[in-house]
Amino acid sequence: MNLDWLDAFLIFGAFKVVEIMGLGLLVHLQLGLTRVANFGVVGFWGVGLYAFGVAHLKIDWPFGDPYQFLVCAAIATIVAAAAGLVVGWLISDLDDDGTLVGTLGFATIVVILATTQQGLTGGALGLGGLGFPYDFSRVKTHEFTWLLITAAVVALIFAYAWRVHRTPHGRLLIAVGANEALARSLGKSATAARLRMMMVTSGAMGLLGAMHGVMVRSLEINSLDVSVTLAALAALILGGTARVFGAVVGVLLTVALFDIVIQFYLPIPDGWNTQALPVAREAVFGAAIVLMLIFRPQGLLGQMRRPALMRRLHGDW
Amino acid sequence: MSFVTSQTSEASTNPETVVPPGERKGWSKFGLSPGWAISVVVGVVVVVLATLFDFWATTFVVGATENAPLVLAAFGFALLYRLTGLLNVAYAETITLGAYFAVWMNNSWGLGFYVVLLPAGLLAGVLSVVTYLVIFRFAKGRRVGNLEMIVISFGLSIFLQHALQFVFGYRRRAFDIPPPNTIEVFGVGVSSFRLLALASVAALTTIVYQFIQRTSFGLQIRALASNEGLAQASGVRPLRVTILIWFVAGLCGGLAGVFYGAGASVESFLGIDELLLILLVVLVGGIWGLLGVVVVGMATGVALTGITLEYGNSLYAELVLVVAFLGVLKFRGRRLTDGSKV
Amino acid sequence: MTGEDLRPQILVRDVSKSFSGRVVVDVDELVLGDVPVEGLLGPNGAGKTTLMRLIMHSIPLDGGTVTLSRPGQRDVLLSATRTSQMAGLGVVKSTQVITDFEHLTILDSALLAVTEARYERPFAAAADRTVRKRHEEEIRHWLDYFGFDDPLAVALSGGDKKLLDIVRCLLLEPAVLLLDEPTAGLSEDHTERVKAAVRQLASRGTSVVIVEHDLDVIWDLCDEVIFMAEGKVLLKDKPATIRANPTVVESYLGAGSA
Repeated sequence: MNLDWLDAFLIFGAFKVVEIMGLGLLVHLQLGLTRVANFGVVGFWGVGLYAFGVAHLKIDWPFGDPYQFLVCAAIATIVAAAAGLVVGWLISDLDDDGTLVGTLGFATIVVILATTQQGLTGGALGLGGLGFPYDFSRVKTHEFTWLLITAAVVALIFAYAWRVHRTPHGRLLIAVGANEALARSLGKSATAARLRMMMVTSGAMGLLGAMHGVMVRSLEINSLDVSVTLAALAALILGGTARVFGAVVGVLLTVALFDIVIQFYLPIPDGWNTQALPVAREAVFGAAIVLMLIFRPQGLLGQMRRPALMRRLHGDW
Repeated sequence: MSFVTSQTSEASTNPETVVPPGERKGWSKFGLSPGWAISVVVGVVVVVLATLFDFWATTFVVGATENAPLVLAAFGFALLYRLTGLLNVAYAETITLGAYFAVWMNNSWGLGFYVVLLPAGLLAGVLSVVTYLVIFRFAKGRRVGNLEMIVISFGLSIFLQHALQFVFGYRRRAFDIPPPNTIEVFGVGVSSFRLLALASVAALTTIVYQFIQRTSFGLQIRALASNEGLAQASGVRPLRVTILIWFVAGLCGGLAGVFYGAGASVESFLGIDELLLILLVVLVGGIWGLLGVVVVGMATGVALTGITLEYGNSLYAELVLVVAFLGVLKFRGRRLTDGSKV
Repeated sequence: MTGEDLRPQILVRDVSKSFSGRVVVDVDELVLGDVPVEGLLGPNGAGKTTLMRLIMHSIPLDGGTVTLSRPGQRDVLLSATRTSQMAGLGVVKSTQVITDFEHLTILDSALLAVTEARYERPFAAAADRTVRKRHEEEIRHWLDYFGFDDPLAVALSGGDKKLLDIVRCLLLEPAVLLLDEPTAGLSEDHTERVKAAVRQLASRGTSVVIVEHDLDVIWDLCDEVIFMAEGKVLLKDKPATIRANPTVVESYLGAGSA
């Protein structure tokens, strides 16, 4: 494969876009449908990243790639799903304030554990040695292939989110998010519904973390930063929390704009890339959340369009 | 949702009711609430342990003084939370701003620590009011929901963390001040700044608490916290009271920020790094009212120091406390509110 | 019906509830369901709604027990059961305040009520069609009965939301149905339809308890009326007797209504 036309940084930019899109889609299921505000997205993603890294580097597997990758990614997914279950249980009968503290607290716990368990994680120094589960001889080809594979995973996440809107599960999530007490009175266990949703979405966040680990090939404590949560939240809120395409549109207008368009195609002064631009990016994302929620809380794409969807599904009623 | 003490539930049935001294029961007959009585007992135990054992002396003295800013910040946060019901993540930046103002005045004009302390706190208070008027009041006027309010405060917090770097620079900044005097307490050396921090905590919390419990303005605050509509109907002017509370909360946060900054250095994540512990202290301590916040905050400070001394890593201490607090919240905590009943 | 004893009954014993020191409900003993339709009557603040919420366990009890007994089945201690399990036991309550699921259409609401838990799992991908097939007939019946022309729309008016609430309750096929002001704000035609539906349900063995301020509904529908005041059950008798009772007339009905 001749990839000379492709800048290596551009691959990374696109990877970030795809990755945040995946997280945004999962936050859509949490916040947009079930009205669970997850301020600890980075925790679930990070638990996947670290579980993958530790399983990959610290366990002597009797088989090589790609099986080693598949097994370790499965471990990452399961660990993150279990974390989702625990956090979901923790916040199951707390209000929005409790949810904020619970999810934020979880993310903090993940960072502390990743820092203190130096024997496993390399602590603040980090741990190198992760790699791609295939060998095509050229790094750029590796990265580009991984970008495509990750895009395929995110496409699956999209398909799942799209599907959820069309199933009784999605209907239940919307009902629990809109009026938990009424849902309970109809015999629905709001707790069970939330726990299942948290388990699935957190597991997928963990899988994305594992995919990230392969791309950057190392564990770095700095990657467990609130900016992961911020990017996913800002993108989704900009696009529209209640719409499947919200995260897609939002990520294109936020992460893609900053990490691809501005970085590569705008004539910005030297040195800005390292300091001013990343700081400005976060400030703009934060401001976007504030302004959108005040002036257009439903996001660019607008409200959930349940009647239109129901007409497509049950037009023959 | 606001946590309701016996005081506010009294106010909710009738804001005019004040229990005459003669009718108080039990401890209250002596002007003592059970909370105060427990505080006195705990205080005696602390003094005895501190005199008898070195480890405990260090833990108590260092814990109480080093983490005094935590108590101060949590008290301010709780005040705001109780009145507005808003879990304001951007409170973290009030703390950061207090520290930034102080370090800026100190670095630019060479003013001493004691000189910049109060102005920096007041400025932080003013900025706190500005965020209320520009963002939160405006959002409330547009009927933004509770969940969205929390997310807005999260967004504002992130915005300020980064925008402030363009104002005050990317670098960490440090106070240019002579090292503080060391004072011996129970045989443990403590810096005069930290003792001042502890004194400020004691003074501010006492003044504000007495203000809320004893004055007519405080009565308005309590009335507003328990039932805004009713309070308005009985002549409380919500805007004035609300602005005052945002100011006092900002003042507490700003002062806490100055003390935090003097203990280490100042950067734009100073506040947010402390926020989780503050939130946990407020939510858990708040189960027992404002005094609960102060007591739990103190206990947290002592526990942080104790665990750090024992295991040599402050991260373990934070880990233990976060897990413990989340556990308390889960089991002692905050069930669904009245509005969600069917 | 073969006999009165074979109805599902709810036994309320020593149940009390106070809010900030004020006693709202204080019931020594009350049996609901010994006649097909019972009315719960009383002035504002008598504790009618609170009693219903206590039965549903959507608010915690200060003390006492609530027991469900159904013919041929073991008794269930409702006061130790979660609200979300009540519908499964056949205990269903309509809500007093107008309430709905934001965003969800009328058909969504109906489907939600009838969907079995196994179809609501995250990966039950094709379940929507299955659920519809299983329950289409009953949903159609009740939606048509109450005149919902466009079930694919969101219920907009208060009346529609109120009716939809009742439809959801009916779709749950209740053994004990608690109705909290079911006809408030409804048109005359819809009120009659609700009444007819209640009669039909009761004739098939459901025990119905109604709180209603529209007294004509109570006198029309109920086989027995319970009069509550200040959290206590004062009287339980035939509607005609309650109607003539001087205490009831004085404290609630007012002069001239007897």
